[in-house]
Amino acid sequence: MEILCAPAGLSAWEYPGQGVLDIAGSAFEQAMLDIALLFPVKEFRRNGAEENWLAGRWQAAETFLSKFQQKKLGLPLAYAPHFGYRAADWPSLAVYQDFAERSLRFCQVAGSRYLVLRPFMAEMPTDKLIEVNREFYQGLIPLAREAQVVILLENQARSINGHLVRGRFTSAEETVDFIDGLNAFAGEERFGFCLHMGASGACGLNVYDLLHALSGRLKAVILCDSDATGDRELLPFTGASKGACETDWLNLIRSLREISFDGLLVLDMRDTAAAFPPLLRPKLMEMAQAVLQYILWQIEMEKTVASYPKRVLFGAGRMCRNYMSNYGKEYPPLFTCDNNSRLWGSSVAGLVVHDPKDLLSLPPDCAIFICNIYYREIEAQLRDMGVKNPIEFFNDECLSSLYAGTLLGEGA
Amino acid sequence: MLEIGVQTKEAVSDENPQAGFEMLREAGFACVDFSLNGYLLNTDIYENRLNRFFDASIAELESFFAPHKAGAQKAGIRIHQMHMPYPIYVPSGTREVNEYLWQKMAPKSMELCAYLGCHYIVIHGFKLARELGREDLEWAQTEKFIHYLAPMAKEMGITLCVENLYTSLGGHMVEGPCCNARKAAERIERINEQYGAEVLGFCFDTGHANLVGLDMEEFITTLGPGLKVLHIHDNDGITDLHQVPYTFARTRENTSSTDWAGFLRGLRNIKYRGVLNFETAPVLTAFPREMHLETLKFIARIGAYWSKEIVQ
Repeated sequence: MEILCAPAGLSAWEYPGQGVLDIAGSAFEQAMLDIALLFPVKEFRRNGAEENWLAGRWQAAETFLSKFQQKKLGLPLAYAPHFGYRAADWPSLAVYQDFAERSLRFCQVAGSRYLVLRPFMAEMPTDKLIEVNREFYQGLIPLAREAQVVILLENQARSINGHLVRGRFTSAEETVDFIDGLNAFAGEERFGFCLHMGASGACGLNVYDLLHALSGRLKAVILCDSDATGDRELLPFTGASKGACETDWLNLIRSLREISFDGLLVLDMRDTAAAFPPLLRPKLMEMAQAVLQYILWQIEMEKTVASYPKRVLFGAGRMCRNYMSNYGKEYPPLFTCDNNSRLWGSSVAGLVVHDPKDLLSLPPDCAIFICNIYYREIEAQLRDMGVKNPIEFFNDECLSSLYAGTLLGEGA
Repeated sequence: MLEIGVQTKEAVSDENPQAGFEMLREAGFACVDFSLNGYLLNTDIYENRLNRFFDASIAELESFFAPHKAGAQKAGIRIHQMHMPYPIYVPSGTREVNEYLWQKMAPKSMELCAYLGCHYIVIHGFKLARELGREDLEWAQTEKFIHYLAPMAKEMGITLCVENLYTSLGGHMVEGPCCNARKAAERIERINEQYGAEVLGFCFDTGHANLVGLDMEEFITTLGPGLKVLHIHDNDGITDLHQVPYTFARTRENTSSTDWAGFLRGLRNIKYRGVLNFETAPVLTAFPREMHLETLKFIARIGAYWSKEIVQ
């Protein structure tokens, strides 16, 4: 999986240098080429008809690109200009087509292999709008092929006088049919999908069904927290109220894990970054990197378990039982162990509980998965004991099934 | 002209139900949504507190509701739909609570529905998708409940109606059970075919749809004939407020932030001829008692306006 940082909130189009420097100064090696930053909706509504304004912004886009290139940041994904969630803000199809074509050419220059291109929006009956978009995307195939760019469709929200509701590509059936139809027309995989958590979260969408239906068509995921108030993009886990995160990370992570997602993970924290004082942004970037690594670790949990030929667990409690109920059959551990000597020799979820000292005689290709939230303390204990085997942290917060109780109904 | 309905909660009292029904008739309503859920509150169920209302025998319960039935008849009001107490299952609840809901509350609610001459009863599906991992596993549990009640529903001529729900993450409402219209339509068709009767239908809740950003026109159009009853109310898109339609705005233009136009287009698309039922009891909590009649008249006027828009 590749991880990227989106520049929104960090870089302004007029002075892109510092934001790009902040991205490059953190552990990010790749960024999203956000062409939309150059064409804010409000400014476009005022100036969009002026050729000089447009030419100036495309020129600025090249400067923006050069800043990324100077810092040797990879740009595998670009995001085309769009006009927000309100149909009334959108220009004519011809104008949007021009933006799309210029963006594709820009991708070719930047070396971006994917371009997120939102569907055209207008006040017209749904069926007609879908047909207009089908023709719009089909018309871009020759240029996308020439530029060697895969066009990514994205789940949309639409504004009902300021309140966001679900727009196109939020239902599994519609989205899969649309993408498959375009690829069949193109005769190759020229289209894929990008999930935007900012648009899905605001509409309360559970992405599980959508992502499972998309499976390999999903090429990128833009990560952010959002809430019901609208178009908000926050550093993951910071959008909280009533003592809990307001974004459905559970269903995102469990579905990406289940479909073995291996595409682009893009961090977009536009509003958090913009709100942070510039002097603190380098620290924010460190935190952002850690958050992204955590999400990556969660998504790749099963992959990590599978990467070892042998494994044992540490911990004989709930997390151990959850490991066994979700992964026990496919990736059976040799045994588990626990510091509680009263448990030694007993059995938990079919595993014999051992004394931790037994870990000293493990074969070298066997990993120890800590199934207890006191990860760091236990890891230190094992290293102090002289354990040389790989130590991994297991976590049960985003498993496919979290239900441990018995369901009513059968006996009723 | 479609019939206009409203829920009985806050309008009809146990002490003098006829007076409440007469007020509703005067306000312009022809039907009511009988708030049976008011007799076993969801807040109590979630806290494992049962008031044992449904411990009473059917005869006792019928006797309790006899004045309501007579009052509605005298006022010329038809009890068109009712709401079964909810939830029907509490994942963290005690076995006693869950068995009570299943074995006592639910079948007795069906009996009362039949007694009141009501043909639609709204139920809430199980909220288990996060725990079980998949919506279809959650639905499987709800379907067990439906199959449990379906023979009774068929015999009594009652349609169980599942409604689109939300669940909360912190303070953010996200989709809950029955938020996929295509799945709902397929399930309704399959189950009704199995029983050879309309034992299952859908209750579209505009407020819940607004909270989780459902496209109302698409949702209703996809449901088609499976849509049997409505819960109409408005909110700010953030909290389930059950207010009067057209109340909320998000921008300085002050245009409604709920897609009422899409809602009406959906009902027009499917040629909806059922009752326009308002689930707006909290409006009566907000307004002074002296203004209840006028407030209810205003709600009924919205219904009358919509009726023309839908039937045109």
